[in-house]
Amino acid sequence: MIEVENLVKQYAGVPAVKGISFRAEPGHVTGFLGPNGAGKTTTMRMLTGYLPPTAGKATVAGFDVFNDSIKVRESVGYLPENVPLYRDMTARAYLEYLGEIRGIKNVRGRADEVLDRVGLLKRATSPIRNLSKGMRQRVGLASVLLHNPPVIILDEPTIGLDPIQVGELRDLIRELGKEHTVLFSTHILSEAEEVCDRVVILNRGEVVIQGNPTELRSALEAGGRVLIRLERESDQMLEAARLTLEKMPEISHVELQGDALIATPASADIDPRPSIARTVIENGWDLVELRARAVDLEAIFLEVTRQPAAAAAPVPPPATVEEGA
Amino acid sequence: MRSIWAVYKRELALFFRSPIAYIVATSVLLFVGLLFTAITISEVQAALQAAQQGAPGGGATATQLLNATSLITFLMFLIAPLLTMSLIAQENREGTLEVLMTLPMNESAFIIGKFLAAWTYFTILLLVTLVQVWLASWMGVPDYGVVFSSYLGAWLYGGAALAICLIWSAVTEEQVVAAFLGSVTILVLYLSDAFAIYFESLSPAGLETGASNAFTLLAAFFREISLNTHFQASFASGILQAEDALYYGALIVAALFITTRIVEIRRWRD
Repeated sequence: MIEVENLVKQYAGVPAVKGISFRAEPGHVTGFLGPNGAGKTTTMRMLTGYLPPTAGKATVAGFDVFNDSIKVRESVGYLPENVPLYRDMTARAYLEYLGEIRGIKNVRGRADEVLDRVGLLKRATSPIRNLSKGMRQRVGLASVLLHNPPVIILDEPTIGLDPIQVGELRDLIRELGKEHTVLFSTHILSEAEEVCDRVVILNRGEVVIQGNPTELRSALEAGGRVLIRLERESDQMLEAARLTLEKMPEISHVELQGDALIATPASADIDPRPSIARTVIENGWDLVELRARAVDLEAIFLEVTRQPAAAAAPVPPPATVEEGA
Repeated sequence: MRSIWAVYKRELALFFRSPIAYIVATSVLLFVGLLFTAITISEVQAALQAAQQGAPGGGATATQLLNATSLITFLMFLIAPLLTMSLIAQENREGTLEVLMTLPMNESAFIIGKFLAAWTYFTILLLVTLVQVWLASWMGVPDYGVVFSSYLGAWLYGGAALAICLIWSAVTEEQVVAAFLGSVTILVLYLSDAFAIYFESLSPAGLETGASNAFTLLAAFFREISLNTHFQASFASGILQAEDALYYGALIVAALFITTRIVEIRRWRD
């Protein structure tokens, strides 16, 4: 469990994180999204006891990150960005070293256990410098699992991996999410959508929106625009259709994009599709396609990070779209 | 304690795999050996001459041994920076410091483990030069008291120099910069008894003995902070004084404390 309340970090007076709040629950994978420089790494460093917060409160596994730093570090497995490792050590020796510092009993056995879990037991005695990037990433993951921590924090763990490795890593993260509280950062949105139960989107040091990816999508789709494709007879016919549709009370505006019409509803809580369908048929046009424009995290992300935070989110921050709400 | 031991073990093993550590050891032992050979030859010649003139035979004295520890303490301005430059700088650069600093371990445990490993490596190097004492014992009876005190002094001197150079390794990520700054620091501290002599010479003559002016105060200051004063004038001459041991001990503790603070502050700022 991670609980963050109004967490602030300033570097020499310059705010990097401006009072963010969120929760990451046990048994869930929480995705931390945002463009570069949004404050993801800074926040993670505060949660792992590496950086002291300037203000605010954060507890990890029930321990305050500032007052109980050592307890927090005992309860967290943290993999920094770029996976720093001792290249001159073997994978096993590296894990044994971390295990000894952590005071784990039977370090050798435990090191082999986690190496096996990440599928690297065969390479246990290879120096890390001889391992491929994907394997190094797995050594890093093994080091995070070493002490079986309740909380796992991964900073951009899939960066620089090939698609197969990314897939394997996502599976592993999803699996870890069943038993642990997992917080991981990424700027790949499809990844977050695929792996996370919750996402927290950060921009310029502020949480712009958070919630379940599916909920976020439907929140954005309600009141979203509608795509209409008609059997095209002539340009005049399309223009006539555009004008007719625009006169409907449910619709505020229709524009022509290619050979499709994009209709913007008059208000957010209206779904204009049924009346559009009727109008089209009444006018004797042939309807080829009628759908709400699909919104994925990509769109949400662009939407909320492009504009100033206050105006951006369909759910105004810091309000949250609760799961199942 | 547990983490000091873990860090210490890893770092010490690393010294025995580090090319730089071997280069340092080889050069030091080479210099010490050459000096020993040169002095032994001249001593033997002097003894032979004395015997021819009917004087009682001299044999090997503690002189050579003094020179072994004196040479090593002099060379500390090279040995200490080379042994310590990578210790923290490299962890900083590679990012492994972030991993270590998010383990349940204090910064001080990490620093102390690293320092003790470097000091142990230096101690082993120092002990190897004891071969000379064994060789000298073939030619005469060394003054074992002086041997003991000069080795004890060189050991403490080495510890202090290593701890001071460790500060620079924490300050910069560039190993070469750390080594250079460490070298300069040790050299200045080594030579500061020479500064003392210089300031004394500036003091106007004709004053009553014991009278102090700015120059004699400066001279006293530089003499007291000199790494060399606390070694040459005492340990190397077979004089054991608590204040000299305390001087080196205090330097070690202060340097390690400063290093710890720097690691902490750098982490909080980046």
